[in-house]
Amino acid sequence: MVKKRTWASIYLFCVFVVLYLPIFYLMFYSFNKAGTMTHFTGFTLDWYKEVFSDKRLIVIVIDTVIVALLSSVISTALGVVGALAVYSTKRRSAKNALLSLNNILMVSPDVIIGASFLILFTLIGIKLGFVSVLLAHIAFSVPIVVLMVLPKLQEMSPTFIDAARDLGARRRDVLLKVVLPFITPGIFAGFFMALTYSLDDFAVTFFVTGNGFSTLSVEIYSRARQGISMSVNALSTLIFLITLAIVLVYYFFSNGIGKAKSYSGGRRV
Amino acid sequence: MAEKMMIQFDHVTKKFDGETILRDISFDIERGKFYTLLGPSGCGKTTILRLIAGFLEPTEGTLTFDGQLVNKIPPNKRQVNTVFQDYALFPHLNVFENVAFGLRINKLASKEIAPRVKEALHFVNLDGYQNREISDLSGGQKQRVAIARAIVNRPQVLLLDEPLSALDLKLRTAMQFELRQLQRRLGITFIFVTHDQEEALAMSDEIFVLNQGKIEQSGSPRSIYDEPINRFVADFIGESNIIPGKMPQDRVVSFAGKTFNCVDQGFNKNESVEVVIRPEDLELKQRGEGLLQVRVESQLFRGVHYEIIGKDEAGNSWMIHSTKSAKINDEIGLYFEPEAIHIMRHGESEEDFDRRLESYEGADHD
Ligand SMILES: Nc1ncnc2c1ncn2[C@@H]1O[C@H](COP(=O)(O)OP(=O)(O)O)[C@@H](O)[C@H]1O
Ligand SMILES: [Mg+2]
Repeated sequence: MVKKRTWASIYLFCVFVVLYLPIFYLMFYSFNKAGTMTHFTGFTLDWYKEVFSDKRLIVIVIDTVIVALLSSVISTALGVVGALAVYSTKRRSAKNALLSLNNILMVSPDVIIGASFLILFTLIGIKLGFVSVLLAHIAFSVPIVVLMVLPKLQEMSPTFIDAARDLGARRRDVLLKVVLPFITPGIFAGFFMALTYSLDDFAVTFFVTGNGFSTLSVEIYSRARQGISMSVNALSTLIFLITLAIVLVYYFFSNGIGKAKSYSGGRRV
Repeated sequence: MAEKMMIQFDHVTKKFDGETILRDISFDIERGKFYTLLGPSGCGKTTILRLIAGFLEPTEGTLTFDGQLVNKIPPNKRQVNTVFQDYALFPHLNVFENVAFGLRINKLASKEIAPRVKEALHFVNLDGYQNREISDLSGGQKQRVAIARAIVNRPQVLLLDEPLSALDLKLRTAMQFELRQLQRRLGITFIFVTHDQEEALAMSDEIFVLNQGKIEQSGSPRSIYDEPINRFVADFIGESNIIPGKMPQDRVVSFAGKTFNCVDQGFNKNESVEVVIRPEDLELKQRGEGLLQVRVESQLFRGVHYEIIGKDEAGNSWMIHSTKSAKINDEIGLYFEPEAIHIMRHGESEEDFDRRLESYEGADHD
């Protein structure tokens, strides 16, 4: 028994090493004086200084965050409405059709989504840049939010709605005072998923950006192509740390909600 | 009289996807009484409650409250509250907020809400539970919160859908008593749904016995128990011996190859009938005494009484409840009073049945 467990831990350890080693390798050389990733000659923060003095880069970071926040807020709103629509669809065939349409968007490759958005935007004459990137991000985030919210709705007993109606609630009150509070954990999960999807999207953004507008992933890609500068490493390190912070915040959020209101999933798990 | 008649079902039919669930149901609910809808699972009890609450609309017929047609009035506009079978308490709200839900929806001032919630919780013996979370409550406590959440709105009618079925036997019996007390104190109408006949007999002013979407019989627990209209009701309400018989003349019935005096009349000469005698109305006698001779086939000790099964000379089985025990294969005598015999006519409607009973119950008093 003990032996089995040690083997399992060793395996797990190896997997994590393989996954994280390149990242730590990259982080390590972001402190390298030599400016290469071959041999370490001494510690420096020069590359970080370079990142922070790079005005263009700072603008891109801010743009990336703005696109991520805006697109995840809007897609969360749309996704919740969508999930409610799917939930309240009575006809089985219609419900399945809606769900399939949603899932197809989830599984289709980014390249195809990106290319088709490029075609769409050029067709209807939307200038490539901030707006096109924002629209594309909203579009690929909505299905994610729907998928995170829908299970919460299905978990909700339909008698909650009956009970609220019975106690005098109009449809609006039922939605605001019963349904939305119940699915709040799903809404948060959807929001954070949309946020991370938007932050690290490369393929779709690569297709639909233009006119001098860029996001971090696209920028890092183009810089890395021009020749490796350790400022890219420094930037990647910063992004990694920020992502880690978001994951931790999300973790505390979902745990906190689960604990404070230990209903449905909370208790049973 | 019109004042007292609160809810009226007039030839109500309910169909789901073309399948008839309730057939041409008519009944009246008066103010301030405890009603029970009793019937086996799937007979349409919940459907009737949902029609009253407004979650469903009748397919045909009319539903009126105080003479007003309410077929299309939504549930939030009805002076009716429901205690749901699964309680349906809101998990994101604590006990206080659950009970206050209806008051907040109706925009009562918070000054008034707190005392009303307290009062409601007091009514269901949950003083001091305001700040508990729903997930921390036991089944019985959830039950009480659900009742408090409904009565805090001071409804005219409280609907309870099998509220006790999830509780264990002891708690269930205690809650039966409490619910009956609560109904008396509040003075409002309770419509209670159950498939448990003992529960129905113990609690109700009036029982509606339902079967396959139809009301088989309605009346006080006593009258339904003593005078079931047909085999279904007799079987469903308690144990009974149902024996085929004939009515040679008024107040005389023959079955098991013998004739007996009874109190029923108004039958055609020699009409075939079904005879009902409750097991507890049969008295054990020595062999050769009593009105009927049976051979004991089996005996079970039931705690309060013995349940004895015997067979008479004509081959009918008799179930006897007695505090005395018998010996298997012994011949024993059975005695019963003429009043213990109840005669059921084949396929009689409830109206005819009531009219017939009234005719000779009136005559009895002369
Ligand atoms: N919304 C519905 N759609 C279709 N059939 C239903 C619906 N609600 C109830 N039924 C059917 O109606 C019948 C009676 O149901 P119900 O009133 O819940 O019975 P009870 O409460 O007496 O057990 C059942 O056969 C059930 O399947
Ligand atoms: Mg039911």
